Amino acid sequence: MMRLPTDKLQAIVDRLPTTRDEDWKYTDLSRAREITSRWLDAGGATVAAEIAEDIARITASIDADWFVIANGELRLPDEIPNVTAARVNAAPTAENALAELNTALLLDGLRVRIDGTPAKPVGILLIDGAADAATSQSYVDVEFAAHSSGELIEYHVSLGATDHYANGVVRIAVGDNASARHVRIQDRDLNHVQTGITHVSVGRDAKFSSAGFDLGGGLVRNDILIDIANPGADISFDGLYLAGDGQHIDNHTRVDHRVGPAISRQEYRGILNGKCRCVWNGKAIVHEGADGTDADQANHNLLLSEKAEIDAKPELEIYTDDVKCSHGTTVGQLDETSLFYLRTRGLDQGHATRVLMHAFAAGLVSRIPVEAAKATVGELVEARLAVLINTDEDFS
Amino acid sequence: MLDIKNLQSRIGGTEILRGLSLHVDAGEIHAIMGPNGSGKSTLAQVVAGHQDHEVTGGSVTFKGVDLLELEPEERAREGIFLGFQYPVEIPGVNNAYLLKAALNARRKHQGLDEIDAFEFLKLAKEKMAMLGMDPKFLNRGVNEGFSGGEKKRNEILQMAILEPELAILDETDSGLDIDALKAVAEGVNSLRDPDRAIILVTHYQRLLDYIEPDFVHVLSAGRIIKSGDKSLAFELEEKGYDWVREAANG
Repeated sequence: MMRLPTDKLQAIVDRLPTTRDEDWKYTDLSRAREITSRWLDAGGATVAAEIAEDIARITASIDADWFVIANGELRLPDEIPNVTAARVNAAPTAENALAELNTALLLDGLRVRIDGTPAKPVGILLIDGAADAATSQSYVDVEFAAHSSGELIEYHVSLGATDHYANGVVRIAVGDNASARHVRIQDRDLNHVQTGITHVSVGRDAKFSSAGFDLGGGLVRNDILIDIANPGADISFDGLYLAGDGQHIDNHTRVDHRVGPAISRQEYRGILNGKCRCVWNGKAIVHEGADGTDADQANHNLLLSEKAEIDAKPELEIYTDDVKCSHGTTVGQLDETSLFYLRTRGLDQGHATRVLMHAFAAGLVSRIPVEAAKATVGELVEARLAVLINTDEDFS
Repeated sequence: MLDIKNLQSRIGGTEILRGLSLHVDAGEIHAIMGPNGSGKSTLAQVVAGHQDHEVTGGSVTFKGVDLLELEPEERAREGIFLGFQYPVEIPGVNNAYLLKAALNARRKHQGLDEIDAFEFLKLAKEKMAMLGMDPKFLNRGVNEGFSGGEKKRNEILQMAILEPELAILDETDSGLDIDALKAVAEGVNSLRDPDRAIILVTHYQRLLDYIEPDFVHVLSAGRIIKSGDKSLAFELEEKGYDWVREAANG
């Protein structure tokens, strides 16, 4: 595909959202713009660093059928029963500057179709490791065919001390009566920048269960957009973010209930320590006529430092009568009764605190809908948490 | 072993304990009975060291040590165990992890080496067998999704593994059906020991049909107003709490 001339690309970069946009008021993409402009000025070519060992290590850590997209280039694996995969070079129409940038600079997109019940989860490793400052794009389109039952793992990694900005688009379509289980792992270098949009659409009586884990990244923005246009959908998604000094992690979710009955549940949890900022903005829109909607959203945060900041905002817009909607947001400390319970068992205050923080995170790990990913995600969470709260304890 | 003298406490400005005295020796089982709001649970929490309760007067010594100077975890390591009325659920933390961490905290305090994984598993399984608990409970989250009876039995399991010198069981019988109650009582009875004292805090006499106390105390408005042997519990069951209250006032 012919790439646009540099000035046209730069024009897209200049249109990326700014903090003047309501949806972006807490998240400043200046660094993404700066890295991309620098990369374009230098010719817009990425020199790959040596990442073969990392790819081998990560793909060995979870038993899945892996697709690897390294520095934007896709390697298609051998045939996998019940899984049809193809390279795509053009993402569908772009609806905003981030998606436009994605389409304009995309090297290889990946389209996957899951039929029946594949033996293993489909794993997609999106890994970046560049010798110089770089920008990378990814586009992944996964269709769970009607009546299928499958699992999808998205694993986003970027390595290296150089500046990096990754911008991704994911589309997940769950067919009628299909069951899709999904886990997203984001473990980027603590200086890197990520923006990512995930579109999920669900068919009649379809089930979508998901869990996302943001463990790294210096500046991270995830947009999860879920569209319910068929009755009988059952959707649940969890998110965990662990943030330390210098990190900024923003999760924006939006669920559109266009018809009922349907269920959507989301629970995001965050542990913040040091000078960092996280954002959770959960929007649920129950459109006119979407009777029988049951929407619940929760966001719980533990702030361990006075320098840590969270902006938590649930938003409910309801345009019909027969609905059940709830939301709850907490920002605070650990449960006093639980702390006392552990202390009466002989654990000192510090130890009891660490145990409860571990439990706060592990509660979401134990609910990961993709069984094969549980152990590895548990280890990654534990390792990140150990750094955040400064302990090397094994809670198993 | 435990000596409470003229203990007074407040929570959020409200006086709860108003001059409570109690002496417990090793090997004894004491039942603390009383109507709701009489201060039974407060007594248990104050002895265990709950920070919401402010001690405004009196003293509590345990084996000669001033208990009120100690943090809750220090009291636990000294050999005090509080069985909770509402045991806390901690999803994400294995029952086995908590049991082992608690046991090792106590062992460290006693100058003993930490127990190794193999020895711990052996000990835990032995105690679970004694209490008729399925070993699979070891690998579940602490009290996560446990029924009322399972939670109480889990408290007794913790007690069996920690081998405290003083166990205070707060409303261990509440919310249990008769089979669960019997199982919990059997567990407690198996832990009767000449070196161990047990305080049962209960509203109903029912528990005492299965665990026979040496002493029964009636608590009212933050003080012990009558003490006796187990026959006092039967009398209470028959005549109600008003009877002792009137007797005490008259």
